[in-house]
Amino acid sequence: MIVIIDYGMGNIYSIKNAFNYLGLEVILSNNPDTILSSDRIILPGVGSFYHAMNVLREKSLDIIIKESVLKYKKSILGICLGMQLLGKSSTEDSFCEGLGLIDCSVERFDQSKYPDLKVPHVGFNTVHIKDGASLYYGFEQDVDFYFTHSYRVFCENDEYVSGLCVHGETFVASFQKGHICGTQFHPEKSQSNGLQLLKNFVEKV
Amino acid sequence: MQKVGDINWLNKHYNFRKIAFSIDELIILNVSRVKKDIIGFCGQVKMLAEGCFIPIAAGGGVHNIDDARSILKSGADKIVINTLLYTDPTMVKELVSVFGSQCIIASIDIKKNKDGVEVWIENGSQKIPKLFQEWIRAVISLGVGEIYLNSIDKDGTGQGYFWEVIKMLDFNIEIPLIISGGAGNQHHLLEGLKTLIVDAVATANLLNFVGNGLPLARDFLIEQGATLAKWNISDEINLEDYFIR
Repeated sequence: MIVIIDYGMGNIYSIKNAFNYLGLEVILSNNPDTILSSDRIILPGVGSFYHAMNVLREKSLDIIIKESVLKYKKSILGICLGMQLLGKSSTEDSFCEGLGLIDCSVERFDQSKYPDLKVPHVGFNTVHIKDGASLYYGFEQDVDFYFTHSYRVFCENDEYVSGLCVHGETFVASFQKGHICGTQFHPEKSQSNGLQLLKNFVEKV
Repeated sequence: MQKVGDINWLNKHYNFRKIAFSIDELIILNVSRVKKDIIGFCGQVKMLAEGCFIPIAAGGGVHNIDDARSILKSGADKIVINTLLYTDPTMVKELVSVFGSQCIIASIDIKKNKDGVEVWIENGSQKIPKLFQEWIRAVISLGVGEIYLNSIDKDGTGQGYFWEVIKMLDFNIEIPLIISGGAGNQHHLLEGLKTLIVDAVATANLLNFVGNGLPLARDFLIEQGATLAKWNISDEINLEDYFIR
């Protein structure tokens, strides 16, 4: 069973729709027992990092997620803000600690460096895939996915970076450290490319 | 503007879910002139969203956080606001802070007269005392994530976008700009996509009135070198089977 963490941040229904299409059982929940009894976790999220971390902490979901991933080795996929939350920290609003499951930090796109850069980065863009990433099983080298975000992730270790994208500068489109995955783009909003990726998460990760 | 039908009409006559493979994003607007029924509108959004794996923006009659949340819960990813930008900018800032910039699209309806370009709200029924250039700056300063600029004059004409107005945008717009109103064929779309300041082109005309004009237009644009996303065709066929069942 796949659980989508329902903590009031972002469009969980479209992720549910996508899994339903794939014929996979999925539950929306913020209940610790349900999360602990699931096989896989989706951490969605749209909006403010700071606000999202506060909500997770209030419900002690941060502890439950870490326990599920680190102790019980449940696979997790963070989507958009959900990916960023898997990192160590963000400077959105003010400095805020994340779940710390991946060694990365989050910062806003720098418009002072690229004056013509539009932020948020919105729309389909091409992801250049690193060889061998199981999340991209069966894909070609370059695949289009849908992005909408103002912040992006910096990984301390290139080893975990599984996909790169260019918006003014090259940034991390996805990371994967074994069973811990994150995509900055929205697979549930990326037509058949995204559905294939969600299928891979369930079958290959 | 012309009334054609509701969501059932759309699916019956145009197999909307098939057409959805020709677009990158869907914008659904409630343009009813009577008191807007958010719950009814959300029901329609939900029906459309269930089989669409693309981003959906929806709006019309959003006054507060609860309205926005209902629409998002129906499967939309973004909220489109227009009148609220003028009547309650504080609420707009609150929407941005709760849902994030990327979630809020500012819709701006404009009309040209001999003295300049006017901004209209309330479904184009009320003019506000702002010049459109200053209005764009003001709207960006509220923190919205995108601008959806619609020409009331050109809307529904199929004669092409409002180029004389777009040319007046000689300043930097830091957020994505979608233009709307007037596209009648694929050449209009291409002209828009080739324009530096324009990030995306919207069309209702090609969807509602021109049969399979939209899939053909997309093929044409890709052929002409426009950078549009590509997705796997074999999966597309599977998806259509899914929609039929």
